[in-house]
Amino acid sequence: MPETGKTRVVVPERIQRGDVIRVQIVVQHPMDTGLFRDANAEIIPAYFINDVQIHYGDEQVAQFEWTTGISKDPLVSFQLRAEREALLTVTSKDNRGKEYRGSAEIKFATT
Amino acid sequence: MAVNDPIERRSFLQAVGLIGLAVATEGLTGAARPLPAAVRVTRPGPDDPPIPNEIVQKIFTERFQNRPIQRGHVTLDVAAMAEDGRYVPVIVESDLPMTADTYVKAVYLVVDHNPDPLLTVFHMTPALGPVAIQTRIKMKRTSWIRAIAETNSGELWADYVKVETTLNGCG
Repeated sequence: MPETGKTRVVVPERIQRGDVIRVQIVVQHPMDTGLFRDANAEIIPAYFINDVQIHYGDEQVAQFEWTTGISKDPLVSFQLRAEREALLTVTSKDNRGKEYRGSAEIKFATT
Repeated sequence: MAVNDPIERRSFLQAVGLIGLAVATEGLTGAARPLPAAVRVTRPGPDDPPIPNEIVQKIFTERFQNRPIQRGHVTLDVAAMAEDGRYVPVIVESDLPMTADTYVKAVYLVVDHNPDPLLTVFHMTPALGPVAIQTRIKMKRTSWIRAIAETNSGELWADYVKVETTLNGCG
């Protein structure tokens, strides 16, 4: 049973201050286009994430506009400057108004 | 000998038929289809794909106020042949600076022949590192994909790839 909206945020294990790190986001979501039919020939209504916000601590560092053109179980990765220790939070909203959240701690390696 | 003759003749004809079919389909798919000339509205460079339809034209008008889009500084990495239109991996990279003064404020992905051509927009800030975005997109059919980066000063840089796809991933 898929858990719609389950969000994973993956960051490297060892981070040093100032590193440019790769952040990977995976959200479980059907991302239905509204153009396919099910086995009973009924239209499967459009159901997709349309807004994603990335916060690094309190600062909003990115915002993504998504459409049904993003594949099922969206996967996105991008680069972030790890300048401080803070929580990286991903908040996504779908077209039914549901909000999903996932986060990862940006922590610097001590050695 | 006489008994074998019809079989040999049949297999020979089959072989010739297969070669003929192969040549015929090659000829069909290999022929370059002319692109519609009437839809060129903005000023694409010599190798740039023309604007295919009004929806894409509307996106360029609304989002970019028809400012010129130059090729360069952006690399769009997609396999030229997508087997499954539901999952087409794309990578967009750029060598444009990401500093407090000059940075890429947005990256647009446009798939000309999708039901919703403006597939995604990544709004960015200088807190991010250089543009290197990976994602997976859906494609309805063979189409140009446009990756367009907009800088904070309003410059537009792009890269284009034509991707062949057979399995409709959009419905």
